Amino acid sequence: MDSIFVYLNPETASEGSGPLHGLKIAIQPNISASGWATDAGSNALINFKALEDATLVSRLREAGAVIQGLTRMSEFGFGLAGSRAGDAVSRGAVDAEMVLDLMGESRLAAQRAAVCGFKPSYGLISRYGLIGLIPSMETCGVLSRSLKNIREMVKIIAGPDERDFSLPDEKPLDFSPQKMNPKKTTVGVITETKSGLQGDQEAAFHAAIDDLKESGFRIKEMSFPDFSLFSLVHKIVGSVEASSCTGRYDSVRYGHRVPGAKNWNEMYLSSREEAFGLLVKSYLFQGAFFQFQRYDAYEDACRIRARLLADMQKTMSKVDFLVIPAANEVPKEATASLAGTYEQFSPTVFASVTGQPALYLPSASGSAQFGFQLAGPRLGDARLFALGEHLLNMRQGGKS
Amino acid sequence: MEFEAVIGLEIHVELNARTKLFCDCPNNPGDEPNINTCPVCLWFPGAVPRLSREVLEKAALLCLALGGELQPKSAFDQKVYYYPDLPKGFQLSQAHLPLSRGGGIDITDEDGSTKRLRIHHIHMEEDVAKLVHEMEGRVPISLVDFNRAGAPLVEIVTEPDFRTPYQAMEFLKALRTQVRYAGSSECSMENGTMRVDANISIRPKGTGQMNTKVEVKNMNSVRHVGDAIAHEISRQSACVQAGETVVLHTRLWDPDKKVTLPMRAKFEGPCVPDPIVPAIELSQQDIKALRSRLPEMPAARAERFVSQHGLTGEEATFLSTDPDVAAYFETLLGQGIAPRTAMHWLTTQLIPAVRDRGQELGTTPVTPARFAMLLKMLSNDEINANAAREVLVHLFDSEESPDAIVHARGFKQVSDRGELDSLIDRVLGEQPSAVNDFRAGQSKAMGFLIGQIMQASGGKANPKIIRELLAKKLEKM
Repeated sequence: MDSIFVYLNPETASEGSGPLHGLKIAIQPNISASGWATDAGSNALINFKALEDATLVSRLREAGAVIQGLTRMSEFGFGLAGSRAGDAVSRGAVDAEMVLDLMGESRLAAQRAAVCGFKPSYGLISRYGLIGLIPSMETCGVLSRSLKNIREMVKIIAGPDERDFSLPDEKPLDFSPQKMNPKKTTVGVITETKSGLQGDQEAAFHAAIDDLKESGFRIKEMSFPDFSLFSLVHKIVGSVEASSCTGRYDSVRYGHRVPGAKNWNEMYLSSREEAFGLLVKSYLFQGAFFQFQRYDAYEDACRIRARLLADMQKTMSKVDFLVIPAANEVPKEATASLAGTYEQFSPTVFASVTGQPALYLPSASGSAQFGFQLAGPRLGDARLFALGEHLLNMRQGGKS
Repeated sequence: MEFEAVIGLEIHVELNARTKLFCDCPNNPGDEPNINTCPVCLWFPGAVPRLSREVLEKAALLCLALGGELQPKSAFDQKVYYYPDLPKGFQLSQAHLPLSRGGGIDITDEDGSTKRLRIHHIHMEEDVAKLVHEMEGRVPISLVDFNRAGAPLVEIVTEPDFRTPYQAMEFLKALRTQVRYAGSSECSMENGTMRVDANISIRPKGTGQMNTKVEVKNMNSVRHVGDAIAHEISRQSACVQAGETVVLHTRLWDPDKKVTLPMRAKFEGPCVPDPIVPAIELSQQDIKALRSRLPEMPAARAERFVSQHGLTGEEATFLSTDPDVAAYFETLLGQGIAPRTAMHWLTTQLIPAVRDRGQELGTTPVTPARFAMLLKMLSNDEINANAAREVLVHLFDSEESPDAIVHARGFKQVSDRGELDSLIDRVLGEQPSAVNDFRAGQSKAMGFLIGQIMQASGGKANPKIIRELLAKKLEKM
C-alpha cells in the first residue's frame, strides 16, 4: 500500500450514467464503505469492517462516481497529525476527496494541497455511516481543484435521509449555478481575526480583500469581540462530546481487546489504554474531566456557545458573507498536542461551533502557501458556492 | 416517639411498542439472545439513532392517562456510566427536559377518604442489555444479551406524597389500570414490564422534615412493594430509636426472608445533553390530537356503568379495571344482553374459564358474539343455566355456534308440560319418603325433589315450569 492510500478499490469502473459519471473520489476510513476496513485511523477499531455504505457514499456511487480508496487519516479525524488528507487530490490521483471536518480539517487539508475545500452547513449532509467524534460540530467536507465539482457533489449528497432524523426538516437547497452581483453584496471582515496573522498568511488575507474590492464587492469592517472564545468553547464542548462518543469502544462487541484481564473493569481499562493514541487520549481525558469534575464549566461553555451563535447571527444579518484568514501554520511537533492543534485551527473552528458553511480558496498564484476562507450564514451553502465560483471566474479573466 | 414515613416512587414501565426506542428491532427482549439487534442498538460506529414515532405516541398517551402535562419541548441526555450492559458508555434518558410534568392519581385511602398522590414528571429512556453470569468449566464468564438494549421505557417519578404502604399499593394498582387503558403497557410487575423503586425516609409525626432517604429495589409484585416499605419503615424507626443515623444508600428487597438488604453503591455519572437525537417538539395541536386518542378512563367508565346500566359501584369498578373486560362487557350489551345477565355470566363463568385455560379475554375463541348468542338462548328459555355452562365448555373446544352445539348435543330445554308432568309423576313415585317429609312441613324436601326431577331429565328440564307443576301437584296430594 502506498503512503497516501491505506486501501485502493480494485473495481474502478463507473456504473450508470449519473451526473457524477467517472468522477474519481477518495474517502477516509471514518466514512463507511461496505466491507472496507473502517478503523477511523484508530487502534480502537482495528480490523473493523463497515457493514454498509454511508448514505453519502451510496449517493455518490449511485450518481456514477467511483470511490477510489481510503486515504491515511489522523486518529478519528481529529486534527491532521499523521493525515495525508489532500495529497491524493493535489497529486491528481483523484478528482475529489471527502474529509470529515471537526474543527477545520477539510479546509486545512485543502490549504496544504492548494485546492478548494468546502465545509457544508451543519445538518445538510446525512451522518449515517460517518464515524465521528464531536457530533454537534462535525460534518463531511469536500476537497477538489474544481469548485464546480464540489458543488455538484454536495448537490448529490445533501438533503434528508430516512436513516438520519437529525437533519433539519427544511426546504432543499438549490445548488444550480447562481449569478452574483458584487455591487449588491457585502463581505464582512472581522477585526479580531486580523491580529496575530503571520507574514504570508496576512499577505494572502489582504490580497483576498483587495481582490474582493476590485471585483466590486462592498467590504464592511466589523468587530466580533468574543471571536477568540470559539476555540475555547470548541475545546470544552468538543472534548465532552468526544468522551461520550468513544464510550462505545469498550472491546465488548468489536475492536481491540487486550487478553488476560481478570475482570470486566480491567479488560475495559487495558483495552482502552492500548486503543487510543496520545492526542485523542488527552482530549478524552479532558472531556471526562469536564463531565465528571467540572460539569458547571461545561454548562458555561454551552451557554457561551449559544451566545456566540446569537452574535454570529447578528453579524450575518449585517453582511452577506465573511472573509476569514486561512488556518495557522504551526511546527509539525506541535500538531501532536492539544494546544498546538487548537492553535493551528483557531481561524477555522468558528464554523464548526456555529454550523455555518465555510469555503477555503487557494491563492490566485496557485503556488503560495496561504489562501483564505469565505463563510456564509447557516444553510447559505448555495450562495457561498456562487461567490466562490464568481471569484475563481474573475481570476481567469472571466466576467461575472 | 411516633414516626411517619415519607415515600416517593420511581416506576419504570416498559412500553409495548413493536420496536425499540431508537431502531426498528423488535421489542421482544425474551427472544433467543442477541437476535433482536442491529448496528444502532449495538452502537456500531456510524450508526445513527432514530426516535420511534410509535414509542413517542405510546409514551405520550401514558403521560396523558396519568394527568401529566406534555411539554412543548423535551430532549434526551446521556447518563454516563461504564458497565457491560451499556453498549456505549451512556444511557439515553430525559434528565433535563422530560416529556411530561405533573399529573397524579386519586386513591381511596384506608379511612375511605380521597387522597391525591402527585406525579413530579414522566420521562422516556432506553433499557440496558441483560447480563448472564455463567461458568465455562471453572472460569466464570459474563454473557451479554442485547435484545433488551434500547427497549423503550418510561420512568414515572412521583412527589414524596405517600405516607403508608397501603397508599403505594393503591397508587400502583390504579396506575396499572390507567396505563393499560392508554394501551401503552401491560404493567406486569411479575413479568418485569413494571419495576418499582421506593424512596423512603421517616420523621417524627407531625413535623415537616425531609430526612435522609433509602432507596429500595427488587420488588416483583405490588404486595412486595407494600411489604418492603413496611419493613423499611420499621427498620429505620428502630435505627433512629437506637440513636443511629440513616445513611443514603440502596437496599434490595429479599422476598423470601421478607427483609431489605444493603447493596453496593452504584456509581452515578453526569447527565450531558445528547447532541444527536433531535429534541422532541410537540405543538398544542399535536397534544390535542393525542388527547383525542385517549379512551374513556376507568373511573369515568365505572361511573357510567353505575348510572347507565344500574350496576353497583363494586361491580362497575371490577368490570372497568381491565379495559378488555370492560370492552367485552359493552359488546355484550350491544348485542342486546341485559346488563345484570352480562355482568353475572362474565364475572362468574367466562373470566374464570378463560383464566383457567391460560387465555386472554381479548383473544379467546369465545368471542363476545358467540357468548352473546349463548346468553340469548338462555334468556329466551331455549336452554337452562346448567346447559349454558355445559355449552360454554364446548365453545372453547369447537368452532361451532352455540345454536349448533345445543341442537347437535341435545341441550335444548324441555318445556313441554305434558312431558314434564309424566316425568314428575315418575320421580314422585320413586321418592315416597321425600313426599312424606314435605307433607310433614319440611320445605327442604321441595328442593330435593326438584333436583331429582332435573337429574331425571338429564339436566334439560325447564326449572321454572318444574317448580310450578311440582308445587301444584304437592298441594293436591
